Amino acid sequence: MDGRGILNGLAVTIKHFIATYVDDFKRKNRYFTPEGVKYRSSPEVEGIFTIQYPEERRILHENFRYIPFLVYDEGEDGQRDIRCTACGICAKVCPAQTIWIVRAKDPETGRPLSKPAEFYIDTTLCMNCGLCAEFCPFDAIIMDHDYEIAVYSKDHMVFDLERLLKSASYYQRIRPTQYAEKAAEREAKAKAKAAKAARRGAKK
Amino acid sequence: MKRPNGDELQKPGYEIPDELKGSVVVTTLNRLYNWGRRNSVWPMMFGLACCAIEMIATAASRYDLARFGMEVMRPSPRQSDVMIVSGTVTKRMAPLIVRLYNQMPMPKYVIAMGACASGGGPFKEGYNVVSGVDKLIPVDVYIPGCPPTPEALLFGLMKLQQKIEKQSFKEVYTKPDYIPEPVLGPDLMDPRDYPKIREYTQKKLQELQEQAAQAAQG
Repeated sequence: MDGRGILNGLAVTIKHFIATYVDDFKRKNRYFTPEGVKYRSSPEVEGIFTIQYPEERRILHENFRYIPFLVYDEGEDGQRDIRCTACGICAKVCPAQTIWIVRAKDPETGRPLSKPAEFYIDTTLCMNCGLCAEFCPFDAIIMDHDYEIAVYSKDHMVFDLERLLKSASYYQRIRPTQYAEKAAEREAKAKAKAAKAARRGAKK
Repeated sequence: MKRPNGDELQKPGYEIPDELKGSVVVTTLNRLYNWGRRNSVWPMMFGLACCAIEMIATAASRYDLARFGMEVMRPSPRQSDVMIVSGTVTKRMAPLIVRLYNQMPMPKYVIAMGACASGGGPFKEGYNVVSGVDKLIPVDVYIPGCPPTPEALLFGLMKLQQKIEKQSFKEVYTKPDYIPEPVLGPDLMDPRDYPKIREYTQKKLQELQEQAAQAAQG
């Protein structure tokens, strides 16, 4: 019959419309709470929803990526132990060449240290591809989840070391799976290294 | 950040006597005017590249620009308040962007959405890309990201709303600066000369072939 397709389409639309509001009577706390957002974005929910952005946030996937940040480990007495060794791999793989690193120097001897003195990421160029994070051998540079970085002036768009540094606990919070994997990997590597050193010691 | 609501109209910054509280609204003209202006920022229906797709997603029901009073994407610059430069600004498009900007009525705002619009992005040193739309027109809010998520764009728009709120009535209605349209330089090849070029290359090719044939014989 002609016109059946249109009727079917309209039926689908009205089904969605009703399903969106039927649940409101059954369930409470569906709006403006983290649990509500979680439930509404789960597969079992029916209906179509708007994310009321500033009040409630979409649950981001763990591998969501935005402008990268640098990880530091918190020391016992509160000092920040930067993981970056200023090797420059990230600056080399960056397709848009947004990363600029200056290696730190020993103030007494003038020899280069394996720490960055300056680290810049130009966010006017960064295309969030994640290659820097993928290639970093020290898990020092990680893609962030923070997207609220709009600014009024272009001067604030080049992120320096102070702006880029974020703690390892923040990293663990936003990417728990990756953090656990990488931590286990590093532990295994350290163990193998220790065993090798012990064997070498025994030979001597 | 909080979504703007009508609260600030209730708090004018003046002392209101207790008996008048709840029955009168005291506000400045600036505040009232900016409150209206801020909640009806109409963007121009105008997209340049992949960021435009994200802009469309922001306007659709999942993120819903209408909650901010910005749902009416105007297809004409004469009716729009904000120009969301969403995508790579190529040199070909530059004169048109400036022309559209000149045609917008005051007060007008520009948002540079994404890496390409704010600084050229990965194409910064490209032969055909303007490295940042701020080289052509004044930009109010920059949104980094490639492309920015719908939330990031909404955040940028909220930043713009905050900016509008702080503006004074007097300063926004100044005479608009006319920005001269950039002119495209001469092309490397003029399409009208294509037959001539073709003839020339054919002749050269023939000569080369003859030379090769002679070399083979000799």
